[in-house]
Amino acid sequence: MKRLLATMISLLVVASSTAWAQCSIENDVPVTSLSAGFEAWKVVTDKMAECGNFTPELDQEFRTKQPAAMAASPSQYTIGGVSNSTIIPLLNDGLIRPLNDLVEEYGQDLAPNQLIEINGEIMAIAMMINAQHLMYRSDIFEELGLEIPTTYDEVLETAQAIQDAGVVDYPLGGTFMSGWNLGLEFMNMYLGMGGDFFADDNTATVNNEQGVAALEKLKALTEYMDPEFLASDSTVVQQQFQQGQIAMANLWASRAGAMDNEEESEVVGLIEYAAAPSAVEGGPPATTLWWDGMTVAANVSDEEAEAAFQLIVEGLQYDNLAANPDTAIWLANEPIESRIAKGAIDSAQAGAASYPASNIASLMHTAAGNNIADFLTGAESAEATLADIEEEFNAAAREAGFIE
Amino acid sequence: MENKLFRLPLSLRITTWTIISIWVVIATFPLLWLLVMSFKLPLDAFDANPFVVIFGPNTNNLAGGISILTVLLALAAGYILLTAFANREAILERFSSTSEGTSPWVVVGVYLGFVVVGALTFMFVIPLLSQLFKTILGGIPLIKWLVQPVMGLTTQHYQEVWFNNGFYKQFLNTMFVTVGVVSISLTIGTLAAYGLARTRTPWAFWILIAALIFRALPQSTLVTGYLPSFIEWGLYGKRFAVIVVLVAINQPFTIWMLRSFFMNIPAALDEAALVDGCNRLQAFWNVIMPIMWPGVITTGLFSFLLAYNDYLVAALLLDGETRTMVPAIISYFNRETTLTDQLEAIAAAASITFPLFLLVLFFQKQIVSGLTQGAVKG
Amino acid sequence: MKTKPFLMFVMPSLIMMIIFIAGPLLLVIVQSFQLTQNVFERVEQENCTPFGCTTEVKTIPVLDENGRAISETKWVGLANYRSLLDFGNVRKAFSAGGRGLDDVTDIAFWGALRFTLMFTLLTLPLVIGVGLLLAFTINAIAQNLRGPIIFVTLLPFIITPIIGALSIRWLFIGDGILTAQLERFTGQNISLFAQGWTIELLMYFYRVWHVAPFAFVIFYAALQTVQSAQIEAARIDGASRWDIIRSVIIPHLMPLIVFVSLIHLMDTYRVFDEIIGFRAEAFRTSLQWLTFDFLTPDDTGNRSIGRASASAILIMVGIVALLIAPLRNTWKEHNQR
Repeated sequence: MKRLLATMISLLVVASSTAWAQCSIENDVPVTSLSAGFEAWKVVTDKMAECGNFTPELDQEFRTKQPAAMAASPSQYTIGGVSNSTIIPLLNDGLIRPLNDLVEEYGQDLAPNQLIEINGEIMAIAMMINAQHLMYRSDIFEELGLEIPTTYDEVLETAQAIQDAGVVDYPLGGTFMSGWNLGLEFMNMYLGMGGDFFADDNTATVNNEQGVAALEKLKALTEYMDPEFLASDSTVVQQQFQQGQIAMANLWASRAGAMDNEEESEVVGLIEYAAAPSAVEGGPPATTLWWDGMTVAANVSDEEAEAAFQLIVEGLQYDNLAANPDTAIWLANEPIESRIAKGAIDSAQAGAASYPASNIASLMHTAAGNNIADFLTGAESAEATLADIEEEFNAAAREAGFIE
Repeated sequence: MENKLFRLPLSLRITTWTIISIWVVIATFPLLWLLVMSFKLPLDAFDANPFVVIFGPNTNNLAGGISILTVLLALAAGYILLTAFANREAILERFSSTSEGTSPWVVVGVYLGFVVVGALTFMFVIPLLSQLFKTILGGIPLIKWLVQPVMGLTTQHYQEVWFNNGFYKQFLNTMFVTVGVVSISLTIGTLAAYGLARTRTPWAFWILIAALIFRALPQSTLVTGYLPSFIEWGLYGKRFAVIVVLVAINQPFTIWMLRSFFMNIPAALDEAALVDGCNRLQAFWNVIMPIMWPGVITTGLFSFLLAYNDYLVAALLLDGETRTMVPAIISYFNRETTLTDQLEAIAAAASITFPLFLLVLFFQKQIVSGLTQGAVKG
Repeated sequence: MKTKPFLMFVMPSLIMMIIFIAGPLLLVIVQSFQLTQNVFERVEQENCTPFGCTTEVKTIPVLDENGRAISETKWVGLANYRSLLDFGNVRKAFSAGGRGLDDVTDIAFWGALRFTLMFTLLTLPLVIGVGLLLAFTINAIAQNLRGPIIFVTLLPFIITPIIGALSIRWLFIGDGILTAQLERFTGQNISLFAQGWTIELLMYFYRVWHVAPFAFVIFYAALQTVQSAQIEAARIDGASRWDIIRSVIIPHLMPLIVFVSLIHLMDTYRVFDEIIGFRAEAFRTSLQWLTFDFLTPDDTGNRSIGRASASAILIMVGIVALLIAPLRNTWKEHNQR
């Protein structure tokens, strides 16, 4: 009887201490958040919810709702989940608050590279990075004795070799879906060619030889892709890999985990990752680097902001992120071992640029995304397409007031 | 009417039936295919061979399936139910107490009864019977082929969508919004339509033309204008705001349709009531409305359809807990990263379509008469 | 009914329509002649991200003392319309070196207009034709068989438009079941979503599939009211089946054909759900989609409200233009009564 009681007591102690270890604070201030809906956000917000009084909202349409909802007084959401570009509307309208004091008080566990600073003010805490980089079928490369391509010219040669061998449906896949995806492909390639998007007065300057070179390189790549590449977003390319239809693609690091999903993938363990290829010999990888993170609303009480920040720190705890190494490339004060991080980290170290987020950059992004399909289908020449992009950009920028 | 013109020679009869058969296939194939896919695992559902998709061998092996006996049981049950439904008039008569026709509550009850019996049959009775027969007959050498699973079937996508992803919440929201829209829309719509049908002022014509033009406006412009104001007034994410907006946007259509129903009722009836000392409102409620019920039901059906199928308004003004079904399914597609996700989206699409299927089944006559009343006479 | 009770009956409905339709409509008209912009300044900004710190000159909005961006609204007359209609490029298209209509349809507005007009006008005869065909054939079969067939016919009409479009897209995209069968049948690789005209055809098919049942029901009901006396008379005069159809039935149906055309023109000109359901925006856009696109903010919150308002007004003008002919008939009839 005594032994039974002792066991029960010790069990209770263990149980309660584990429960206590789940969240180191008990939150009694209602906190809400709005962010995108992909898996990484689930991991973080689930952990934050364990502290109590936290209602996350995971919605892919967050970019339409965030600026309006956080402009309300008081803000409808205490925390806004953002990326490099979606933080801009919140900054423009003064909807988020600087976090310097809160970082000093509660943010000792945060790594310095997680602090997104603008003119010294910490406006967001980054939690993960993402980039498009090269993914390839290591088994096919071994079988055909191919080397990992480091420039896009080498990619084309490798694709030709794979096509000649006829081992897959299409050598290449690409996120060339007209719109945002295609626009990003152009921006990545153009940056890789060393081009500048804007002049000092914010007018577009893409109709030049780097622009033409970027377009022609993109077109050359499509020769090796599924003809429906203009309907191809990252989900489609991921599925093409999983079903063994393609051998190489420049795909988002966050999709890497799905390749090893045994329920759906026929290529478990056969995909390897490398830095994105460069556009020109000796140039940086033709890709851009992105971060995702959290911000705290300005239109909330200081008490709510403090509670929200503590929850953020809680959600980004090392143990939580390390338990999900393949969900995203996390940022933490100690490195997290992850197979999927290699390509993005290699690209970053080789000098890839971070995405030049700004209002005019996304106007350029949209203009490119809307017009390049015409060039890829052969309906227009490269120079005409670039002229169209410049015109669409100039019209939009003039309407918004960026250009006189 | 039996049109002697249409006593057809053989060649024309063959042509007629060919055309009808082709149309039936075209009309139902996309929806049927969705339904078939939603009960299979990704390995089968996306296969290029149609027989693999229909019979689902991988689903059969991995997740279970249905046997020939189950199929026979389901067909029998379906046949019985449909025949009973076709003879529902007799059933309604059995339940009505007065000789003046059935009260609406009895009608609702009987229809609900059909739904409940159908649901119970297909979700509980048939699976139980199949299991029972499987254990009893499973050992007998030849007969056991009847009870072995031959066609793959899995309800995991539906379970995932409805329970794990909480689709039932969105279903309830849709029902709340739709019922709200229908009731308010019909109330103010019948009043307005009655006024428009009985007046001789030239205002009526201009109001109707204005309504026609309003109906022609692109919704996207109107609705995106509301968003900032709604947020400022704290109406964002409130279902009531969506109800009000949908009622207003659908008023033009509602009053046009109801007006043409009212025009069919002779003004002499009102006049008689007015002579008897009723004021306009009493004449409207006590004399005209009882005759108008079929027209009101039909217009209500179309209001229901418009509110149920709405995407733009609900997508912009609701989110999270208050979101309705159609915007939710669009967000499924934006989120899909695996083939299983896609099948869950397909299961959600089938779930959204099923109530509409029931709607047409129950109210086919009213839908047809409504479309024709509004057009033929109006 | 006298004016006062009339107004009482009509008031609630009228108020709702004024607040939620007429009001915003006026707002949109006014907005189409205005331009709202933030006031910008160019400042040097030091930006620190996980990838390092950079110092650049950025164009950012000026904030007021409450921390909100200052915006100013000014009247610009027809500038939004001119920006949308882009006459400069239209002229260039028809001058030397231009490619004529090809270049014009490259301009966002004109391409959308081309698609919207063709979509509206080409699906019209198809919808009427299929509707009539179904009405005649279903009317010709035995009474007790019609119920289930009419049931099946109504399904494409009531299904949620976006889901209907998606269901057809799934059948054809990539290795969809119908494309796979087509490929097996013809022995070649078919990609229906790799070029514009095949997507356009699929959208036409979807619209006819979706709207023909509506036309069918109306024509079918009208067929029930054809006077058998007239047909008997024509028969006695020796008319053949086709003569009867042409001289008795079609005239009887004509007002309804006009009605269906009216509804079809009004609704199809606003085509939007197809572009979304088929994700066709890479190849084909419609006027309403263009308006919606101008209004949807991109990642950094940019929207083109001026051009969106101008586009919305032009859609209205287009609809009114399309409706003038059929409406003039109705006005004449109304006066004759």
